[in-house]
Amino acid sequence: MSTARLEEVRRAFVAELEQAGTSADGVEKVRVKFAGQRSGKLKELAEALRALPNDQKRDYGRALNELKQEIESRLAEAKQAAVTEIRVKDPGTANAKGHAPTVAVGRPVDVTLPGLPVARGAEHPVHIVRRRIEEIFLRMGYDVEAGPEVEDDWHNFEALNIPPDHPARDDQDTFYLADGHLLRTHTSPVQARVMESRQPPIRIVVPGRVFRRDSDLRHSPMFHQIEGLLVDEGITFGHLKATLEAFLHELFSDRVAVRLRPGYFPFTEPSAEVDISCIFCAQKGCGVCSGSGWIEILGSGMVDPRVFEAVGIDAGRYTGFAFGLGLDRVAMLVYGIPDLRQLFAGDQRLTRQFA
Amino acid sequence: MKFEARWLAELLDAAPPAAELAARLTDCGLLVELREQGDGSEVWDVEVTTNRPDAMNHRGLAREAAVATGSRLRPLEFELAENGDEVASLAAVEIAAGTPCSRYVARVIRGVRVGPSPEWLQRRLSNCGVRPINSAVDATNYVLLELGQPLHAFDLGRLRGRRVVVRPAAKGERLTTLDGVARELDPSMMVIADETRAVALAGIMGGAETEIHAGTTEVLLESACFDALSVRRTARRLGMHTEASHRFERGADPEIAAVACDRAAHLIAELAGGELATGRIDVWPRPWQPRRIELSVAALAAFAGLEIPAARVEAILGGLGFAPARSGDTVRVAVPAFRVDVERVADLYEEVLRHVGYGAVPAALPVLPTAPGKRHPNWQLVDRARDAALAAGLAEVVTWSFIDPGADRLVASQPLCPGPAATLANPLATTQSVLRRSLLPGLLSAAQGNLNQGERSLALFEQGRVFAGGAAGPSEPERLGIVLRDDGGDAEARFRRLKGVVEHVGTKVGLPALHWRAGGNPWLDETAGAILETADGRAVGLAGLLAPEIAAHWDLGAGVAVAELALDTATAPPLPRFAALARFPPVVMDMTVEHGSELGYAGLEAATRELAGEHVEGLGFVTRYHLPDGSGRVRTTLRLVYRHAERSLTQDEVNAWHADLRRGLAERLGVGFA
Ligand SMILES: [Zn+2]
Repeated sequence: MSTARLEEVRRAFVAELEQAGTSADGVEKVRVKFAGQRSGKLKELAEALRALPNDQKRDYGRALNELKQEIESRLAEAKQAAVTEIRVKDPGTANAKGHAPTVAVGRPVDVTLPGLPVARGAEHPVHIVRRRIEEIFLRMGYDVEAGPEVEDDWHNFEALNIPPDHPARDDQDTFYLADGHLLRTHTSPVQARVMESRQPPIRIVVPGRVFRRDSDLRHSPMFHQIEGLLVDEGITFGHLKATLEAFLHELFSDRVAVRLRPGYFPFTEPSAEVDISCIFCAQKGCGVCSGSGWIEILGSGMVDPRVFEAVGIDAGRYTGFAFGLGLDRVAMLVYGIPDLRQLFAGDQRLTRQFA
Repeated sequence: MKFEARWLAELLDAAPPAAELAARLTDCGLLVELREQGDGSEVWDVEVTTNRPDAMNHRGLAREAAVATGSRLRPLEFELAENGDEVASLAAVEIAAGTPCSRYVARVIRGVRVGPSPEWLQRRLSNCGVRPINSAVDATNYVLLELGQPLHAFDLGRLRGRRVVVRPAAKGERLTTLDGVARELDPSMMVIADETRAVALAGIMGGAETEIHAGTTEVLLESACFDALSVRRTARRLGMHTEASHRFERGADPEIAAVACDRAAHLIAELAGGELATGRIDVWPRPWQPRRIELSVAALAAFAGLEIPAARVEAILGGLGFAPARSGDTVRVAVPAFRVDVERVADLYEEVLRHVGYGAVPAALPVLPTAPGKRHPNWQLVDRARDAALAAGLAEVVTWSFIDPGADRLVASQPLCPGPAATLANPLATTQSVLRRSLLPGLLSAAQGNLNQGERSLALFEQGRVFAGGAAGPSEPERLGIVLRDDGGDAEARFRRLKGVVEHVGTKVGLPALHWRAGGNPWLDETAGAILETADGRAVGLAGLLAPEIAAHWDLGAGVAVAELALDTATAPPLPRFAALARFPPVVMDMTVEHGSELGYAGLEAATRELAGEHVEGLGFVTRYHLPDGSGRVRTTLRLVYRHAERSLTQDEVNAWHADLRRGLAERLGVGFA
């Protein structure tokens, strides 16, 4: 008895298993012959170990163990791949041959045991929100646009009526690169790029990553916005109002009230801050709305004629509106996430909650 | 900014209750953010936007409140008792040619005895967040809160030559400001100087040597208009931000300078005694001319989507100080000096609309062509990648676009590195100072964080951009990064799990056919890493187990599998084409090939496929067994599915084909069969 014998058994096993192919019966026969508890070849080989001289025991034992593992794993694979025939007791109710495996039914299944986990992907809440908002505007005929995150001063500021030394630059503290480029502080530069490249009618939304040099509970040096722009002849403030109402009703609920308040953005005139009635307290006042019953949700306004002039659109002929909101802010609001920076900590426990 | 509600109400002739006043102000764009009880009055925190310096004082806000509530702003009334000498005999003012100061008004009060202000004044200042100092300084601060004009009181006795000059600072000139900081100035900065030295930073802060003190008897009161840009640049250069600079940066009202000077002089004389010199010094080389704008009531209606009666337009603009004059559809206005933000007709539309109320405008959706919206190809691309990763069961994370320079240095050795690093000139922290050139550093930090939280298995991905700088200008290619980690499983099992995910993503995203070439060191383990290449040899990805040194950098144990894919080479995958479904049963045969490790599976599979003939419908990997004899040889089992499109196959013919295949493989590759 030696390792040569082991190899012999292995060859026989491989040949017979190959022969059995995908027949469940065939695989089972091979199993009984080689790995059967009572008279399988492996058992026989194991018994032979005792009879060996001590100096051979170690090598033989190791080789036997490897063979055992190989046979077991290949049997398991073959079994899985095998097409099984249903064994039927009552031919009258038989299924077609080979369409379902035989299931051994012994003791009753505890139906309260947990189900096996399914590998579920989990999208980041910011992107869930982004896609929901894109979808709403796509249905209203808006194109979804994209642009660079590393911008130049013209598109990020000057074309948007924010000249150098404008105090509004204070509110948007900017990261600069060594070569004079900057990280865009909002998605609005894409507006400017689109208007430079084509004439109205223009109907776009622009989601994307933006950067400001600011960090605390409510500010993160990196966050996400979505920006909207509509330019055509005869666009009115009333159109802006209705579009935002339609959007916010779709995003939150038909029951939210929408309020426009005068505000200030350098690139719109007039400008409006937009609030929705608090979705958490029915406007009775709560922590989310700081007791006011209203939640500030986006900024908007009619495109400032200076912006049209900067990008080469006839301000005498066209009017338009623009709006923008923080995707992270919406995600925090709808899912109740307290700290903006938590969204970028890479914690899978956070993402998995929104799977 | 803080306002005292009682003060505001006093400025109106018929103020509504505080709650209503606050609501009306909010409606017209001056958001009353917070109402608190102060000392003897409610104190409001009102958000005044940067374009409205005119409303950063009580009279300015009251002007808005008057229009918003239909009341009237009371006129500013005080009696100026000029009982001293002619001011010109006491002091002189000069604006050096070309200095960005459009007006400088000054008054002189002599014989003052500076002491604490009366209680009513102190209370008012305190309510507005200003600390009372002494009656002269408090008077200037009061006028700032009342009229918005920054003023400065000099101790005239300490001004050498009893004169002030507005001029650029000399190179290297020094000035110790009121806050006690000695500052070195340069010619880009505007100063107020006396005969020999700088005594104040124009529009920002006075100097310590000439400030009002207990022994001061003569006061020179400055009320000037300094250029916004000049003040802003100097304040920024010196890292200063004061009440004065805040206002000058946003634009000063040239007309109010004289009124404010009178008002403060009146208060100082009243509070600190003394005689007010007769007349004021007023250096105003080019007096201000109002801007005139015309507005069409019909055009306003078309722009707003709301008819607004001409009388209402006039009333609003009149109340705001625009002196409107209407003829027919046209309203002509003269923009008041305090409205530095109003330049064109769109600005007037806003004035009218915000007082009519945005709520009054009827909402009407625009009627536009019904063309469906399209998504930019880049969004289609990245969301294909995102969806593929999600379908593979991965959890998405979003990590910082800027990383630590130490981590970035490691990235330089990656085959996917997009170019020279782009560095932030003004990072928040050094640990976030380089724009990432790979998604892996962020993902590995995330992996580390998750493991520290006791997570055992990780399946993370991030989709986002990486960045490169350099002479060619910035680039920001899209990437997908993956991190997988499980308990258990050998290197091969971990690698194959990762490869399964990568192959799935590659197909779904539409990456070109990928060739897996062993490599990726030093990022990937020498024995379990691959570079993914296109047919023309371009690296578009890397995948494998992390090299121990890289894992150690992020304090990760062994067995972490990572991949990064460059998405830019992808094209939308074509629509699948239906293939006829086979009708006859298959014959499944396994084949175990013994070969040396120099023959990779890909080579074996390719040869098998080629030699197998037309009736092999499927070919797959079953298992691999490493011979324990130290030879390094392996046994690879393949599963072949034979099937004929038109008839059932017999075992005999399949056996014959199978035997041919074995012979062919033995000849071509020199392999054996178990
Ligand atoms: Zn609430």
